[in-house]
Amino acid sequence: MILTGSKIIEEVRNGSIYLDPFEESSVNPNSYNYRLGKDLMEITYDVNDIKVLPIQKKLTIPDEGYVLRPNKLYLGVTYETIGSSSYVPSLIGRSSLGRLGLFLQITADLGHIGTCHRWTLELTVVQPLKVYPKMKIGQVSFWVPDGLELLNGHEYRKEVNSYAKFNEPTFSLIEKLFG
Amino acid sequence: MILTGPKIQKEVLNNNIVIEPFDPSQLNPNSYDFRLGSKLKVYKNLELDTKNKNETETIELTSSGIILYPNKLYLGHTIEKIGSNKYVPIIRGKSSTGRLGLFVHITADLIDIGYIGRFTLMLHAVQPLRVFQGMKIGQVTFWKVFGDIKLYNGKYQGSMEPAASQVYKDFKLKD
Repeated sequence: MILTGSKIIEEVRNGSIYLDPFEESSVNPNSYNYRLGKDLMEITYDVNDIKVLPIQKKLTIPDEGYVLRPNKLYLGVTYETIGSSSYVPSLIGRSSLGRLGLFLQITADLGHIGTCHRWTLELTVVQPLKVYPKMKIGQVSFWVPDGLELLNGHEYRKEVNSYAKFNEPTFSLIEKLFG
Repeated sequence: MILTGPKIQKEVLNNNIVIEPFDPSQLNPNSYDFRLGSKLKVYKNLELDTKNKNETETIELTSSGIILYPNKLYLGHTIEKIGSNKYVPIIRGKSSTGRLGLFVHITADLIDIGYIGRFTLMLHAVQPLRVFQGMKIGQVTFWKVFGDIKLYNGKYQGSMEPAASQVYKDFKLKD
């Protein structure tokens, strides 16, 4: 089951969902609009060996905007700290940005229960697109899990924490994929 | 929880889900196939700006279809008018179109509860691909909600053709 906007507001007030800063005007019928943080990283991987640390060019999106180019991957970050210990977050783009060809993640929309941080965004565009810091760029929805009580103390928690300590655009911890 | 195909049909009959026209042959075990409409919109400029209105031009599809090229975004629409005041729709491609490298939305699969209209499709092909009006191009699923429902009443409500981005209005509000 997906939470309605009214339920999201209720659970933010109850502390079951963490969204900071939180503005009621950013609540949609069944999601919350998150903003784009100003930190951006342009990523260039070595195509021959993804285990080699990628070239990371750190950027700050200026107030006058920054043009994202096609065929490139950028890592951004949400302006808000987002998380929940009770619901499963799913972080996607906003239709207003999809209509301009902006991907906000790359088929990895599912968050882990229990994480709470500023989320890294995987940005790529179909056509060049100028974006601005703090613009409402995507949305996060929250889903009711089945089996929450079984999760407490479980070793999956280790996995949950691997990216959760980061609050800036964070490149892939590639070693996680090989072991 | 996701609705099964027979449940979708039941809720269409109960008027809890709108799918017009509705054809039971487009039902799947847990989704409904929608078809590509005859109109596409493309942006006139290559470089787009979220802060400004980006002008579009309309392409009417003919029986020979159209080749979608990579590095260009095409806004399409469903033939069907779809929505619900009770369930949340989520759209997907069909695996048959995904296997050809076609995106039908760009990380915006979630439809607001209360939106009722033709869906705008964000078409993006990985390799050049010819598509035709009337083809089954994607599917819609319906999900149960938790909490009080407040219906969508936003800027894209009731669209009947591809609706270009109105995100520039966010900036106007702020200024």
